[in-house]
Amino acid sequence: MFSLFYGLWKYMFSKMEFHVLILGIDKAGKTTLLEKVKSQYSNLEGLPPDRIVPTVGLNIGRVEVSNTKLVFWDLGGQAGLRSIWEKYYEEAHAVIYVIDASCPSRFEDSKSALEKVLRHEDLQGAPLLILANKQDLEDAVSVDELAQYLEFMKLDERVYTFQAVSAFDGLGIKESVNWLVDAMERSKRTDMLRLRAGPGVV
Amino acid sequence: MGIVFTRLFSSLFGNKEARILVLGLDNAGKTTILYRLQMGEVVSTIPTIGFNVETVQYNNIKFQVWDLGGQTSIRPYWRCYFPNTQAIIYVVDSSDTDRLVVAKEEFHAILEEEELKGAVVLLFANKQDLPGALDDAAITESLELHKIKNRQWAIFKTSAIKGEGLFEGLDWLSNTLKAGGG
Repeated sequence: MFSLFYGLWKYMFSKMEFHVLILGIDKAGKTTLLEKVKSQYSNLEGLPPDRIVPTVGLNIGRVEVSNTKLVFWDLGGQAGLRSIWEKYYEEAHAVIYVIDASCPSRFEDSKSALEKVLRHEDLQGAPLLILANKQDLEDAVSVDELAQYLEFMKLDERVYTFQAVSAFDGLGIKESVNWLVDAMERSKRTDMLRLRAGPGVV
Repeated sequence: MGIVFTRLFSSLFGNKEARILVLGLDNAGKTTILYRLQMGEVVSTIPTIGFNVETVQYNNIKFQVWDLGGQTSIRPYWRCYFPNTQAIIYVVDSSDTDRLVVAKEEFHAILEEEELKGAVVLLFANKQDLPGALDDAAITESLELHKIKNRQWAIFKTSAIKGEGLFEGLDWLSNTLKAGGG
């Protein structure tokens, strides 16, 4: 009996835990972004950008934002490593897609990788946050230009937004995380994932 | 009192210590890796029965590296060394494709261990110098690394004989441990 009530209590009052995938091609700044988020939202010191090496595996960041727990999964973006991205789709509540806005020569690669991500059925209904990163660099294109390039008209059923950020100096990070939390809380996918996990396992 | 000062001193000046286990099937190259890291040279090894332990100082971290014998009959003793381990280096012979399934099973059994829950995982896709060695993406696939969702992991292509990839791996390890990873 007690455990029943305890379970109910936990179900109603425990913090939601959201899984957020950080994707994007190599050198986009995914790990730098993760470290910046970690240092802004927890008292852990993030790695300084010059110590960050290309990811060949999985980096994890856990932070708490207002009343929610966020678990970030940052996966390596080199072409050979992208095949493991999809293994994480099923459990992800939302996707952050990072693009190096200062490197137009790789927009095409970025775009086709993103298209592939969005086509996958395991990510159905997942809110998408597209980041035009490296705004601290002079030659970075604006978020509007990037949006135009990606032609997002086909996306109208998915909740998504663009945001200009600099993972290096922290520009736009707070806005991004706020949008993400809000989008995930409203998302039907969140209900779907919660139902699948069953009560008690929030 | 002395201990308090020592602790304070070492926490101030950043000489962290970390206990690392080097695991993997027999003939994966664990002992060669250990001595390559410690002495910087290739030693001729014989199959390890029991363990080798050495200290490796790198990036302000003192790694206490335990290399445990990998033969089937002595794998059950690995667990005696599990408590207080901060990281696991799992070594795979990338050219031994016949035994990748066994390597995968042993690896996932290790990850299940309660006492290793907090340990970060570094994989060495070793023996890249041999013809027919699978690359990091292929080893990732065959070891089903994507099943790891609650701890940090990384994989590096290494050749213990040529000394390639090992210190890149240690770089990752020291960064991750300093950031309090896990």
